[in-house]
Amino acid sequence: MINFTINGQNVTALKGETILQAARKAGFYIPTMCYLEKTTPCASCRLCVVETDKTDGFILSCQTPPTEGLAVTIDSDALKTERTNIMRLYNVNHPLECGVCDKSGACDLQNKTLEFGISSQHFSAKEQHRTIEHWGLINYDPSLCILCEKCVHVCNEIIGDDAIELKFGGYKSSVIPKNSDTLDCTFCGECIAVCPVGALVSSNFQYSANAWELTQIPATCAHCSAGCALTYEVRHTSNTVGAIPKIYRVTNDFEHTTLCGAGRFGFDFNVNGTKDPKMFAKAVAAIQSATAIRFSSLITNEEALILQKLKEKFGFKLYNEEARAYQQFMNAYGSMCGKTGCGGTLEAIKQSDAVILLGGRISSDNPAVRYAVTTAARHRGAKVMYMHPLEDELLQNVVTQYVKYEVGTEEGVVAMLAKTLLEGCDLSNEIREFLDELDEGYLCAESNVGDEEFSRIAKSSLRAKQKTLVIGSDLLSHKRAENIARLCALIEMYTDFSIVVVAPSVNTVGVSLICELDTDIGGANIVGYNAEGDFTMGSLGNPELLLPSLNSQEGTFVSMNAQVLPTNVAVGFDGYTLNDIANALGLNAQYTIDYTPQLPRDKGFNGTPFDDLGNFYTALGEDRRGYILKNTDVEINGVLEEINDLPEFNGTVVYRCNPINQFNGYTAQTKQLEKDATLRGSTQFAAAAKIADGDKIRIEFAKGVQERVFVIDSTLKGTVALVPTYDVALGSLGEQYRFEKVKIIKMGSES
Amino acid sequence: MHHEEVFTNRNVTESSAYYYVDIESYPTTGWDKFKQVVRRTFSGELFIGLWVVMREMIKFDIHTVQYPKEKLPLGPRYRAVHKLLRLWESGYERCIGCGLCEKICISDCIRMDTRIDENSRKEVTEYSINLGRCIFCGYCAEVCPELAIVHGPRYENASEQRAHFVIKDDMLTPLDLLKAGAQEEYPGFGAIIPGSDDAVKKTPLAY
Ligand code: SF4
Ligand code: SF4
Ligand code: SF4
Ligand code: SF4
Ligand code: SF4
Ligand code: FES
Repeated sequence: MINFTINGQNVTALKGETILQAARKAGFYIPTMCYLEKTTPCASCRLCVVETDKTDGFILSCQTPPTEGLAVTIDSDALKTERTNIMRLYNVNHPLECGVCDKSGACDLQNKTLEFGISSQHFSAKEQHRTIEHWGLINYDPSLCILCEKCVHVCNEIIGDDAIELKFGGYKSSVIPKNSDTLDCTFCGECIAVCPVGALVSSNFQYSANAWELTQIPATCAHCSAGCALTYEVRHTSNTVGAIPKIYRVTNDFEHTTLCGAGRFGFDFNVNGTKDPKMFAKAVAAIQSATAIRFSSLITNEEALILQKLKEKFGFKLYNEEARAYQQFMNAYGSMCGKTGCGGTLEAIKQSDAVILLGGRISSDNPAVRYAVTTAARHRGAKVMYMHPLEDELLQNVVTQYVKYEVGTEEGVVAMLAKTLLEGCDLSNEIREFLDELDEGYLCAESNVGDEEFSRIAKSSLRAKQKTLVIGSDLLSHKRAENIARLCALIEMYTDFSIVVVAPSVNTVGVSLICELDTDIGGANIVGYNAEGDFTMGSLGNPELLLPSLNSQEGTFVSMNAQVLPTNVAVGFDGYTLNDIANALGLNAQYTIDYTPQLPRDKGFNGTPFDDLGNFYTALGEDRRGYILKNTDVEINGVLEEINDLPEFNGTVVYRCNPINQFNGYTAQTKQLEKDATLRGSTQFAAAAKIADGDKIRIEFAKGVQERVFVIDSTLKGTVALVPTYDVALGSLGEQYRFEKVKIIKMGSES
Repeated sequence: MHHEEVFTNRNVTESSAYYYVDIESYPTTGWDKFKQVVRRTFSGELFIGLWVVMREMIKFDIHTVQYPKEKLPLGPRYRAVHKLLRLWESGYERCIGCGLCEKICISDCIRMDTRIDENSRKEVTEYSINLGRCIFCGYCAEVCPELAIVHGPRYENASEQRAHFVIKDDMLTPLDLLKAGAQEEYPGFGAIIPGSDDAVKKTPLAY
């Protein structure tokens, strides 16, 4: 605690806080133009200047921490003059195009220009020739850019793409793609979000609507388990197409949250439904005579509860292999450590000094985890250890140690990791014995990870204060997932690592808590809800009965942070809902959200009604979204199983992995997101599989066949190729182990 | 309690065209009222009126405006059905699609749609006003920064339905009319205030 004064009033700051942060907390207003809470200070605008009794001249409050007893003045006449002059400079030759600018009405420059009463230009400067850049989903107009550097900071420090930089040249300065002619990045669009003016805009949205015409609907992203907060911005379409409500864009509270490209640009997946009583009756009958309902985790908690209640009533089975894998993993985890949930969160990753990423391709599986890791690496210098059979180019900037293990050997790797990290811990005899008896030589040889690599991990994490182990979805669907879970539990119990499990789909966690799931053994009369079945319903893949998509529904999700998050209806849906079907089958609820308070309390839900759930961040960044699940105690009865032979994967192996910004059947149908559906592999893979770049191929999996084009990806190494699932599986990854040995046949060559 | 408003003479000055009308005070007692009725009934004022009509009829000097063949001239500030104007030199539409008229419209009857065109400029693809709702307040014309939307003099907008739309094509000056110099500038709502040119400050260009 540091005590100091602002304008004579006593203020306290925490250690590490700047004058600006302390001032904001205490309710003082210091104007800023380049400040972004989630990055390091850009310190480019100088608008945040203040005076103190211990310094000559002005200092920047956004990057200066206060000292004990400091007397700060934030609004003297000299400061006002200084700030007004800065605003005058900002406006020199600024195009007078608020009338058409996308930012008008929500523009920091507009607001501050009015605030400081700048009505004319006193300086002169030669006008530069500047051209508007078209960078795919993003357009950049350098003449509107005020060079605040927020976009550069966020791209580098939070996203980790490091794709743009400032080209300095005095009055000619502008933002340019780094080391490239055009922007080559993951298109998260976060630069658009943070840009205080209309310089960086969404090319799809540009000039299509004004900020004040859009209705803002706070919701939760429906693409991955991070459950990011986003705002759907909705307006009517043009009269010629019926003036119906449409989502125009997605925005976020960029000071405190970050979206990936799927959340930001993949919003147009809603479907139009009509009430067709015949089809409805058919759906009701299908469920009555169903042996099972198969469903994906693209579902709200309330609907999952409806399914569970129907199961209890009619006695059919519930199939969701991906959530079942997660459920079993977490049960095994709980049976070891006695808790229903893990201790780690995305926020904890950001605060970590050491992060181990194990068994998942984080940058495409769950971008929010990637951003949290980037933040930890950039802001805390965190050591990042990435353990996976495939190196990931997108993580190159942050990973300090890459550990490559052989496909399939995850159990051995986790066991060795546990042994390494648990060294010197006070363990029970059983566990000590188990670890001592591990056949290190065999495990290391099979997994191809050397002793020294493990000891390097141990060394890196030894010095760290906060540590996180991120468990990817490869482990959840592994044959030996349960033993892996028990080993992970050991790590969380005995070391100061907290664990984050990356759930494979939007509401995998919620489904696993609410539904009793059965092993999918197929059978007759299966009803598919956003999944395959004999009768299908939902919003994905031409179902017989259309039900609303996740942006036309209200309800809640449980994120990987174990947080219950509300989502809302962005655009309405005129057809039936699952609740209507349930009512026809004898349940009774006026709205789907009537089920929100009934979510199972023994699983940690607290019974709050839907309308009482918040969905925002305060101005100071406190999370007021939904609530955190209570971590409840479970019986400890887990027993570690001995590790037998580790499986081997030889020949042509593919890895189920979606391209960036693609996740599921929803993202697959959006207009803006790139839909790369190729099999991507290295030249080495091409040689091994005897195929060449651009070849049309047929991939024969154990279950099913896919036809795709093979493309050589120069960023990949090794002998495993990446095969997307978003275009074939409706729900998500994670129904089965993500690596598979397949047969690849060049089409046209088979005889 | 009876409240009497104090008359403050805001507009009426010696030099203005206003003058006080001499109105005799109203009768208050029943008898006075009765006398007034009797006086008015038998004074023969009715026949004076009839005579005036008769006189004018036989004079054949008729002042009736032959509507709809003839129309009365309207004052420049008259606010009737809107027009969208073009720039004189280039013929481009003046409307830049800023949306201010849509925003300010008190009866929420303007709707527009815009897009980005091939030259990265904002293009107005649709513009409609529901005259059935419009109260002809003139806010739209006043807020328009481009003098694009103005109130024209056409006041006939009878319709079979309450909703009655004019769309962009109805309101926009046709190009041939523009070329013929027939686009009218309206000095009414939203027009430039006389002397505006003198108020413009030049941006310094001393380099
Ligand atoms: S960036 Fe802001 S100030 Fe500049 S034209 Fe756009 S709205 Fe106006
Ligand atoms: S593009 Fe926007 S965010 Fe980036 S420097 Fe320019 S004004 Fe700032
Ligand atoms: S897809 Fe995941 S990371 Fe991306 S915005 Fe949605 S929830 Fe966040
Ligand atoms: S005249 Fe008034 S009511 Fe009519 S369109 Fe304009 S702003 Fe709206
Ligand atoms: S205010 Fe004028 S320029 Fe703006 S949209 Fe309306 S008519 Fe067009
Ligand atoms: S906020 Fe401090 S320099 Fe911009």
